[in-house]
Amino acid sequence: MAKDQEYNVQAGEPVGVIAAQSLGEPGTQMVLRTFHLAGVAATIATSGLPRIIELLDAKKMPSSPIMRIHLKESYSKSFAKADEVAKKISEIKMRSIMKRVAENFASGKILVILNEQSMQAVDLTARQAAARLAKELGVETKVGEHGNIIVNTHTKNLKDVRAVTVKITKAIVNGIEGAGKAMVAQEKGGEFYVEAAGSNIEPVMQVEGVDPGKIYTNDLFAMYRVFGVEAARNTLALELKKTLEDQDISVNDRHISLIADAMTADGTLQSIGRHGLVGKKESVFAKAAFEETVKHLINAAAFGQIDYMRGVTENILVGKQIPLGTGSVKLVIKRKETKKKEK
Amino acid sequence: MAKKVSEKCYVHLNGKAIGHVADPFAYIKEVKEARRKGVISGEVNVAYLEKLNEVHINTDRGRVRKPYIIVENGKSRLTKELFEKLEKKEIDFGYLIRNGILEFLDAEEEENALVAMTEADIGEKTTHLEVDPVSIFGFTANTAPFPETNSAPRHLMFSSYIKQAQGLYATNFNLRFESRAYILFYPQAPIVTTAAYEALKLGKHASGQNFVVALSTFYGYNMQDAVVLNKAAVDRGLARSMFYKTYSDEERRYPGGQKDIFKIPPATTEGYLGEHAYSKLSEDGVIEPEMTVEEGDVLIGKVAPPRFLEESIGAGGLEEKTRDDSIVMKPGESGVVDDVIFTESPGATRIVKVRVRGIRVPEAGDKFGSRHGQKGVVALVVPHADMPFTEQGIVPDLMLNPHGIPSRMTFGHLLETLGAKAGSLKGTRMDGTAFSEKGSERLSEYAKILEGHGFEKYGEETLFDGVTGRPFKAKLFQGVVYYNRLHHMVSNKMQVRSRGTVQILTHQPTEGKARLGGLRFGEMERDVLVAYGASLLLKERMLDQSDKATVLICKECGSIGYRDYAKRVDVCPLCNSNKLSEVEISYAFKLLLDEIKSLHIRPQVGMEE
Repeated sequence: MAKDQEYNVQAGEPVGVIAAQSLGEPGTQMVLRTFHLAGVAATIATSGLPRIIELLDAKKMPSSPIMRIHLKESYSKSFAKADEVAKKISEIKMRSIMKRVAENFASGKILVILNEQSMQAVDLTARQAAARLAKELGVETKVGEHGNIIVNTHTKNLKDVRAVTVKITKAIVNGIEGAGKAMVAQEKGGEFYVEAAGSNIEPVMQVEGVDPGKIYTNDLFAMYRVFGVEAARNTLALELKKTLEDQDISVNDRHISLIADAMTADGTLQSIGRHGLVGKKESVFAKAAFEETVKHLINAAAFGQIDYMRGVTENILVGKQIPLGTGSVKLVIKRKETKKKEK
Repeated sequence: MAKKVSEKCYVHLNGKAIGHVADPFAYIKEVKEARRKGVISGEVNVAYLEKLNEVHINTDRGRVRKPYIIVENGKSRLTKELFEKLEKKEIDFGYLIRNGILEFLDAEEEENALVAMTEADIGEKTTHLEVDPVSIFGFTANTAPFPETNSAPRHLMFSSYIKQAQGLYATNFNLRFESRAYILFYPQAPIVTTAAYEALKLGKHASGQNFVVALSTFYGYNMQDAVVLNKAAVDRGLARSMFYKTYSDEERRYPGGQKDIFKIPPATTEGYLGEHAYSKLSEDGVIEPEMTVEEGDVLIGKVAPPRFLEESIGAGGLEEKTRDDSIVMKPGESGVVDDVIFTESPGATRIVKVRVRGIRVPEAGDKFGSRHGQKGVVALVVPHADMPFTEQGIVPDLMLNPHGIPSRMTFGHLLETLGAKAGSLKGTRMDGTAFSEKGSERLSEYAKILEGHGFEKYGEETLFDGVTGRPFKAKLFQGVVYYNRLHHMVSNKMQVRSRGTVQILTHQPTEGKARLGGLRFGEMERDVLVAYGASLLLKERMLDQSDKATVLICKECGSIGYRDYAKRVDVCPLCNSNKLSEVEISYAFKLLLDEIKSLHIRPQVGMEE
């Protein structure tokens, strides 16, 4: 027997239950242990049990998304070049750089008074902001004398002016929507890359200098959309592993892999629960035993479903031997027949 | 406090607005002065709520109030002269209240006060002085020695354990018919006490004993909070207690003129328990004092009218049917009848109360706790000969695992060990009141006493192994600790079942000691067997030892049928087929099928050979 085969699990081994237990038990310890590192304000990310739940529920967007964007060789060598890219990505909202908005309904113009301090902090000029604002909203903008932005709405309709004002406060003046604050980071090898506190990888890939094949995000669905299920599976397994390691909990990789496999086995990302894996179970009884009992029974009756008794839950329910472990083997030749032959 | 002139400041009396004042502070001052002078009742409390800009005056009942010494201009009103008078007992507490030296604050007024812990802490803004620092603790918490040297959670835990301690809870326990009572045979006052303990005179009806405790392991028998007891000490009456339980019953009256009767039920009674069960009853149907009783014995014989009216009518009026409703000793219970009383309810029905007593000798499984939140269960009672001993022949009563100390940070436990040891040598009680001015000096004080009596300064002694007779390499910390025997005792809790009662609805075993139930093999336990792949063991647990049912299922239509014993055939009531097979399923599943049917859904069961 080959060495690797010695370590294979045997047929009928309930690997799923073991994986669930192996992940569930440390989960009970995790609830009480949430430590916060003082000082490092930027790195407060969902961790521990909430993050695990988020992953297993296959949530559409993580509550603290993060992107790691690697750059093309010509950009990754110097900080200045990398910073150039980071600036193109870093998302800045109008709300964060302006003091207030003054509307002139008589002329149909809106004056946006900027906060110089916060402008400096993000290294953005009024001219740049005005240009982006014009592009975003499709309006005419110019920079006024005190470094303020004047928006000409070309309308004197009260309602329309106010609508533009609302849009202005919500508008993005720099970077990519949803990308969050992007900063340059350096790898151990010396290469520079960009880290962003948001996730929207499709437009980021278009940015010049970004290596489109080397973008990582903790948003499972973005990985699934852009790179496919395999990438989503790997991201899921990696994120699970990382979250557990952060809490100093060691779970064998195989359990994590199995869970990631189970969630992506049909080529899509499924959550573990009513809307995902459990909901897709074959057995009516197994589904009814989990959640929404009556709904499943009524559906089964309406469609005349048959329960083939192939799972664990339904066999325990009726009192049969479960088709796992020692119950997974059946006699091929029946006793009566052998006796006949002996005679 | 910022003064808000522009807004009206409303005054609330017991939660109802009664008016408003221009200057709340002047107003409050006036009220307080009136109270201190005795113009208005001392039970009136007044508080200014800054956020609401309101004055609240409370005079209603149910407020928790605490006395404080009034501080004025940075000086305590309880002057030295007054204090001396107090010591000479020329004046009393009431005098101090009446003369505005002490006053009671409620929760709301306390929010406005700045209280100094000691006289030295008094600053410019101080309004009150704490009578004693220990008053931050309550009744129970104040009975523990050295609480300031323990971690707070442990102190809190002690406060809840002490309520479970067995002791002399009332001196008239002989006359009382408590549903459950525990009396310690030889209660002792602790050697290390606190001022509050003495003031409350708890030593007069103590709830513990001073144990000689060695901090030592014992062949692994005191792992994880388990403790080891000395058999000889137990035989001498250590922590021995009496357990009392009262059974009572009433001669109830029913509509229709029927009533219960206390008497030995005649054999014709429904549910008759057999002659033997009633053999200890006297003529009046109630047991006599000093009778030894065991499980199954009837304590109070009672016959009741039948539960349903039809039965008595069905009897044709010839002989009235009766039902046995006697009080029987529950499984596992035994003891001696201590006392029997007859009394009457407000409804003029007779009531009988029977008190049964039983000695509870400490045994493996009983729970003990010290006054430092250190609880443990007895794991072994060791023969005297096998216990470790000192040079002088001192043998510990209890051995506590030293690993339980560092992580719990109950230094007070160690301090008490030393203090009580010193106290027992010196022949005096020692003081362990919280926040003592002596502080760490206490330790050197104890060391001095111990040294003076020829003992090791810090309590470590060379002990000899009782089994081999050789000295232990390490010196062991030994001393005296006041231990409480908590009322959780195995003999009142243990229960076994192999076969037994099942629930009517599900045919599954019942739950709980009172119903002779089993221990639930729950979902997580089930998962463990699934994970191990032990399919037959799982089936045995979930089916064979639970709610196995054999039903007949029609081979043709898959519905449940029945056996017609008269015609000796199996019948399917739906398709009239006679081809049915016996199938073993869980009764719960049969019930599920029945419930599905009640929803007008027809389930069919398919089978394979």
